Amino acid sequence: MTDKLEKQIKKLDNGFQISVVPLAGYNQVYGVAMANFGSVDTRKKDGVLPSGIAHFIEHKLFAKPDYDVSEKFAKYGANSNAYTSYTKTAYLFQTLENPYDNLEVLLDLIQNPYFTDKNVASERGIIDQEIQMYLDMPEFVLDERILGQLYPNDPISEDIAGSTQSLQTINRANLLQTYQENYRPDNMNLVLVGDVDFEKVESIVENSNFHTLETPIEKTFNDFEPIGQGGQDEMDISQARAAYGIRIDTDLTGAELVEKQFEMNMVMETLIGESSENYQEMSKLDLIDDSFSYNVVAENNYCFIIVSGSTNDPDKFQDYLRNHLSFENFKNVLTDDKFERIKRDAIGAYLFAQNSPEAIANQMAELYFYDVDYLQLIHMIDSIHKENLLEISEKFLRDDNRTYYNLIPSGK
Amino acid sequence: MRKTLAKNIFLNITPIKKFRTIKIQMDFLRPLDKEETTSRRLLANVLSNSTKDYPSFRAINDREMELYGSEINVFTRNLLNFNDLAFSVEFADPSFLINGKTQIKDNLDLLGEIIFKPNLNGNKFDETSFDTEKRNLMSNLVSIQDNQDLVSSLGLAKLIYRNDPNRQVPIFGGIEQLKGLTNEELLKSYQDVIKNDTVVINVVGNVDETEFLKELNDSIFYNELQNDRNDLKISFDKFDDLIAQPALQIDHKKLNQSRIALAYATEGVSKDFSRLAPQVMNLILGGDDQSQLFLQVREKNSLAYSVSSSYQPISHLVTIQAGLDSDSVDKALDLINKQIEYIREGKFTDAQVDHAQKVMLTRRKISPDSIQHYIMRNIWETIYPKTLLTDEQFDDELRILDKKHVASVAEHMHAIAKYELIGDSE
Repeated sequence: MTDKLEKQIKKLDNGFQISVVPLAGYNQVYGVAMANFGSVDTRKKDGVLPSGIAHFIEHKLFAKPDYDVSEKFAKYGANSNAYTSYTKTAYLFQTLENPYDNLEVLLDLIQNPYFTDKNVASERGIIDQEIQMYLDMPEFVLDERILGQLYPNDPISEDIAGSTQSLQTINRANLLQTYQENYRPDNMNLVLVGDVDFEKVESIVENSNFHTLETPIEKTFNDFEPIGQGGQDEMDISQARAAYGIRIDTDLTGAELVEKQFEMNMVMETLIGESSENYQEMSKLDLIDDSFSYNVVAENNYCFIIVSGSTNDPDKFQDYLRNHLSFENFKNVLTDDKFERIKRDAIGAYLFAQNSPEAIANQMAELYFYDVDYLQLIHMIDSIHKENLLEISEKFLRDDNRTYYNLIPSGK
Repeated sequence: MRKTLAKNIFLNITPIKKFRTIKIQMDFLRPLDKEETTSRRLLANVLSNSTKDYPSFRAINDREMELYGSEINVFTRNLLNFNDLAFSVEFADPSFLINGKTQIKDNLDLLGEIIFKPNLNGNKFDETSFDTEKRNLMSNLVSIQDNQDLVSSLGLAKLIYRNDPNRQVPIFGGIEQLKGLTNEELLKSYQDVIKNDTVVINVVGNVDETEFLKELNDSIFYNELQNDRNDLKISFDKFDDLIAQPALQIDHKKLNQSRIALAYATEGVSKDFSRLAPQVMNLILGGDDQSQLFLQVREKNSLAYSVSSSYQPISHLVTIQAGLDSDSVDKALDLINKQIEYIREGKFTDAQVDHAQKVMLTRRKISPDSIQHYIMRNIWETIYPKTLLTDEQFDDELRILDKKHVASVAEHMHAIAKYELIGDSE
């Protein structure tokens, strides 16, 4: 075996964890700071936040009193970016030089908000354009609609960026309060991948300006309504799109949840991956094309699977999946050979991701919130047995936890 | 290692240890021809659907998984005035596996299967593979209409290349051409590709050159890559008539957001100026989040979420794309013109030039962190080395660059095409 990745970590007294992963032969340094706060975190004990507020903070944190943080990154030769997911917000940079200056800029970015009535108003127009852009994408609309069936009236079924209406209720005051409640050191972590000195990184972070709150972070998990019956809508598109959804209600958290996500991925790969009988059959029946895919999500207390793609016949697409995504079917197709292949595939995917500093940093930062060490994932994959797949598939391949949504071309 | 296996069959091996994977890519090249564009794309799909020894899509995928998730990729793309039909396999470096002793041989064999051992039935491809992939491609081509950014860039490309029939069919094929394509015709096209196309083979990753060459010589590749291939003749498009009379098209569609796409030729820039001046000008105009378009159209006027420009070094074209409200289109176009004017008049600062130079340098130095960088560089070195700069040349070109060079590129920007996709709410 060639040199494995190694890391240095330290959790500061204020709860903020720093991880550094050297990557031999690479010229860049990639850094990401991630908050355990995303678009679904809108329900508080004392009220509801406007949808899109996490994403709005992500956009507006770049603004500082006399400058924009992206200018500072640019000055030190870095590209910078940020993204918001259902449960996380991340800020990142990629640089060739000045990694320590860029780290200071990254810390300034996440530690010093500067929200004004004026800069908030101007950002609304930009984000509204982002929302409009996504509304023209059928795959995006379909995802939102199937989530609306899986989690009726839940924030996960709303656009991460919010809506034209919700943007109007986001203001300086609620941005600042939400920022202060969530961007605290014990709710964030930092990962740097590349050639940097750990002690220097540690010293820069230790001497930065985190605000701390005495009260422990309150993470309220949303209660879910029963799964919707399914639905269909028309859109001005050339070809129909169909999505089949499975919701798995679980109390699992941390490493156990991550392991179950791996197992569910293996089950789905066995049942409808490109090397499955079902994939071949659906293709032969002209129910799918190569846009067909599945996505297993396990984040905080959300755990669901969406199977989707373009189709000539959404009803038959749904019927097929309803009849074939079953425990009985899975038991029959999961041979020892098949299991071995699925496992090898997962090991390969882990190695492929290690070609990318970006993938390493982002996965490591995310898995921190689940108490999982990214560099130990290989052992987690290795510890999965055929019996684990049979056990979990019996639990989630049921009749009462699935639903659907179809988008059909207008007028057809 | 560089080696010529036969006339116009080139092999490049780049041993490098920093990646966790090894990639083998074979590019089959010939001049773009509208009659062949669709068949070459369908060929890519049919060949990767099944082979003689792996007679179904399922069997190929099982084999990829067995080899620790190897990724087979077959596609077509434009490269200069050529159609590039590329086959690649990327796989886990065996030194990271306990059980991977034969990884290189096994993956080479799998790639050889895909390229040279098609799943045939008499003088045709296997019917199931052909029918499935024809349907698949048709479905993809229909779905393109639902991707508005692609619709807009294809709309612009059609205007830019209105006088070049071979570029009128997009590289991923056309619906009308696909409808009439028969199985027999596709097999003939395959036989022609395998026998006549120029071939560039690249291997990048933790490999020993001598051992890999031995593996290659012991494999199916040895026999199949013996015969000489056609020469490639590089040609460039001219945009004189579009400069004289720019093309314009406006389409309407029921959409939330409108898209605009603009193209400019940059002809007549002095050869004495830095060869990097167009890229630097593009960075200042719309190449990143410090650019004029980003700061003026997006940040200051909140007109767009996405607005950017790009420069294509081969065609010397600058293109600009933006997504915005239909009632903001005129204002955005006016702002775009003002930014070009701003650069043309030399109003940009030295700091903007410094920033753009820094970005150029960073991108160049970070690029070797990707396995694909080595493959692309080797392809260019093989077919069009003139386009590449050595590190020394790059540094020199960047050093001699000044504001005058940048302004001159903007001065020589001629609007040649404008495509508007206007979103109508009803």
